[in-house]
Amino acid sequence: MAVTSEVSQDGTVLVITITGRFDFGAHQDFRNAYERVNAKPERYEVNLGEATYLDSSALGMLLLLRDHAGGESAKVKLTNSSADVGKILAISNFDKLFEIEKPGHNG
Amino acid sequence: MASEHLDYKVLAALKEVMEGEYLLLLDTFLEDSAARLAHLRQAREAQDLGQAAHSFKGSSSNMGAWQLAQLCQELEERAFHGPLQGIEDLVNRIDSEFATVRGLFEDERQRAAS
Amino acid sequence: MANAERPALSVLIADDNMTDRMLLAGIVRRQGHHVLQAGNGQEAVKVFELMRPQLVLLDAMMPVMDGFEAARQIKAIAGDELVPIIFLTSLAEEEALVRCVEAGGDDFLAKPYNHVVLGAKITAMERVRRLQATVLEQRDLLARHHGHLLNEQRVAKAVFDQVAHSGCLSAANIRYLQSPYALFNGDLLLAAYTPSGDMHVMLGDFTGHGLPAAVGAMPLAEVFYGMAAKGYGLGETLREMNAKLKRILPVDMFCCATLLNVSARRRVLEVWNGGMPDGYLQPLAGQRLLLPSRHLPLGILQRPAFDATLETFAFNPGDRVFLLSDGVIDTANADDQLFGTQRLQSVFDHNKDPRRLFEDIREALSDFRGESRDDVSMVQIEATAPGSLPASGLIFSDSGQLTPMDWSVCFEFRGQTLRRYNPLPFLLQLLLEVQGLRDQSGALYTVLTELYSNALEHGVLGLDSALKKDGEGFTRYYALRQQRLEALEQGLVSVGLEIQPLPEGGGRLCIRVSDSGSGFDVAAKARGGDNAYAGRGIRLIRELSRHAEWADDGRSARVEFTWASQA
Repeated sequence: MAVTSEVSQDGTVLVITITGRFDFGAHQDFRNAYERVNAKPERYEVNLGEATYLDSSALGMLLLLRDHAGGESAKVKLTNSSADVGKILAISNFDKLFEIEKPGHNG
Repeated sequence: MASEHLDYKVLAALKEVMEGEYLLLLDTFLEDSAARLAHLRQAREAQDLGQAAHSFKGSSSNMGAWQLAQLCQELEERAFHGPLQGIEDLVNRIDSEFATVRGLFEDERQRAAS
Repeated sequence: MANAERPALSVLIADDNMTDRMLLAGIVRRQGHHVLQAGNGQEAVKVFELMRPQLVLLDAMMPVMDGFEAARQIKAIAGDELVPIIFLTSLAEEEALVRCVEAGGDDFLAKPYNHVVLGAKITAMERVRRLQATVLEQRDLLARHHGHLLNEQRVAKAVFDQVAHSGCLSAANIRYLQSPYALFNGDLLLAAYTPSGDMHVMLGDFTGHGLPAAVGAMPLAEVFYGMAAKGYGLGETLREMNAKLKRILPVDMFCCATLLNVSARRRVLEVWNGGMPDGYLQPLAGQRLLLPSRHLPLGILQRPAFDATLETFAFNPGDRVFLLSDGVIDTANADDQLFGTQRLQSVFDHNKDPRRLFEDIREALSDFRGESRDDVSMVQIEATAPGSLPASGLIFSDSGQLTPMDWSVCFEFRGQTLRRYNPLPFLLQLLLEVQGLRDQSGALYTVLTELYSNALEHGVLGLDSALKKDGEGFTRYYALRQQRLEALEQGLVSVGLEIQPLPEGGGRLCIRVSDSGSGFDVAAKARGGDNAYAGRGIRLIRELSRHAEWADDGRSARVEFTWASQA
């Protein structure tokens, strides 16, 4: 499991990339990824392309990020989720809270 | 002030460690050794002889009586591993070495007591 | 000298050679420790048993009992506690050193003694001894904490069971499988009757494990049982549960849940699934239907955004609904393969006797895994023919002496209220102020529900119950109901209640319900056959009340209940 984050050149987007299992073990790293940045991004992107697994505590962490990013008005996009990870997001109906972008729709 | 019979550096260290009990230690060694020597003479079994020599070797070395300790070690080795011929000769040598050491210890005792 | 880092120890010295023993005692004492002495192995063991010294210096060769045997016995007496043993020896042979270690020796000290070396060895041994003592202390502490935790879980579970047992999980038409400690995996299974005999069922799964997962369960169960007993609909219960969890849970915690309303009387199954795996509706005859997650889990959305829309399905006697937690699908076998939905569905496909469906699934799971997990929860509810109404789940704290006996009220529920509000629990509460009616609360609630839904659905919304003649029409009927209700601007349902004492004792309740709709042919409705969906309501009202009549082309109903004087 690894969490990396990168702010876009213009400082408006923070991209957090998850590699491996996204579960409670990633809790602190994930929080650090958006709490310990100097920029004040307008939008957030969580790249799940390299995430192999996602459990309910990971869903909880996404909710924390959404809360941090402004709750109802948050702009958080989940990108590149694999079929398995996408299924978990779908069962929980997280598309009602997050913009979910499937792989191959790069934009 | 070391001799091949008694190492006075060792005695100095013992004196420092034992403080008021130094004299008692000397007395104990002399009494204990006499008893052990008698045991050497009476020993019928090689095993018994070896164990008495082993114990005597330990205390002699602790008291700085190197020559005595050396002879006891030879006796211990021969008692356990042979050859046993001529071993009485070795016991006699231990006897006479102890007589020398005893004399030196008694002098030391008087020096320390005064 | 002894100080904070080198505390005074109690040291046992065993040597048959008095000179050596005396010398060693002198050295050890000078280093600030307390000395115990023994002249052979047997004495050493005795002194150890009696005085429990912290460190033992043993001569290897001693009469009576040698150092090797003494070391073995001392180590046995010490048990878990580490008592370092240093062998005193001038043995030079490797073989002898090996014997020392085998007997439990921790170190050697050769003669002639060197007091600096001895001091260092004692310090090192003391460090090891304290490390071991700390490890033991922490082990015992852990064991105590673990014991506390288990006890707390037992108590929490007992308290929770008190709440959970107010439900009806033991009903004959429910089969379920749940670990006794499922609560601490966040799994929650609740079932309760409403006053009208409908059954509410909830299978929930909180995020996380342990206590955090269990804390949300208690308030959720309270809301579930309280609202079911008072006759609130599933939608209202859902909104209340969601609001409560949103209020009390941290942002990253939520509860996936499927809720069911099973109405034997209306032959209807209502379903809400937020974040749980697909449920299954297996009709006695016909295609299996999936009950997929359509909503976010409970405790995430704010009240206005929360969607409590239920899906409605026909549910006839012999039909079965099956719900499961993700522990079922995620059950892994020895090769780390998951049980998965395909295996589950193939159990459905191969089932020959629907009465054995639940066992089939259970067996398939245990065949797959070989042992059961404690986060596997599943429940199956079978549709039954409507039976007798359950006893009221409400508990009255008053004595009933102050019962109001001569009054009437009239309510008019209009447009917007009809769209969003369910007045039935409120009306029932009001009527149950009258002690004589409490025994009939189930019948009363059922009749009120029928009268109100007739007035709303057939009157105000103009729905034709003839639509409900088959499963497809049934689904259309409820879709239409939802659609028209959402668009409703005008229309009204009026409910009048009148309580009067009777001269011979006891009293009478008269319920009048009328609506703004276009009326219906009461006689034709009531003739409908037993298999028809239509007309059942009217017959039910006639059976449960003392008297029922319709006027104004069915727009106005008048129903009477009476009760005898209570001794």
